[in-house]
Amino acid sequence: MSPGLSYTLVITGAPWSSQAPQTALAFAQELIAAGHHIDRVFLYGEGVHLASALSTPPSDEPDWPGQWADFLADNQTPGVACIASALRRGIVDQGEQARYELSANNLRQPYQIAGLGEWVEGNLKSDRVIYFHGSH
Amino acid sequence: MTTLIVIDQAPYGSWSGREALDMVFSLAAFDQPAALLFIGAGVNWLRKSQDAGGIGQKTVEKNLAAAPVFGVEQILAEQSACERFRLGEGDRLNGVELIPSVRDALDRFERIVFAG
Repeated sequence: MSPGLSYTLVITGAPWSSQAPQTALAFAQELIAAGHHIDRVFLYGEGVHLASALSTPPSDEPDWPGQWADFLADNQTPGVACIASALRRGIVDQGEQARYELSANNLRQPYQIAGLGEWVEGNLKSDRVIYFHGSH
Repeated sequence: MTTLIVIDQAPYGSWSGREALDMVFSLAAFDQPAALLFIGAGVNWLRKSQDAGGIGQKTVEKNLAAAPVFGVEQILAEQSACERFRLGEGDRLNGVELIPSVRDALDRFERIVFAG
């Protein structure tokens, strides 16, 4: 069996307003099952809503943010939310809470907040960069 | 390898175009070659003398005009879309290359990103 490829997945569509996170999760699960490697999942634009720790869907509905977080933790896959996209949309970690003197933080584990440089690195190092958009 | 960012929606209706532009500038900041392609209603990004004050936004014209300064190699626009939106040479920002075929333009790039 040939060695797998490395992937960066970019999600720009938000849960509940687009299908992007669900489609991306199904794709990611199939990648791992097929022996490929996911270098990172990068949340950009509306996609950062996936990293809110406060999303609380009704108990009889799928919990997409929870399922994604479990997938990242189980596979030790880095999940990164773009800092500019995240701060605009109220997704904040402890460091940014302190920096902007905000009243709370809400970044879901195991996501981290970082700059677009993480996406650029994905462009340089991953064999494939795949986008999951909300509006196309 | 040059990354082509494609913007197909008019400015101001959503933030996706601005965030696509941030991607271009980010590539350029890391010395990665980048180019922009405007198609469909996206060509309206290229219109001169925009004034978005009436809707409480900053104009995107200044951001775009800075692209060559930041090292963005090419700004391409779909010729037929420019004609459809009456974006003549005098109406467009300087330095825009018109392309007769989007398909041919996409074939020139190995790495293509559509704005979310």
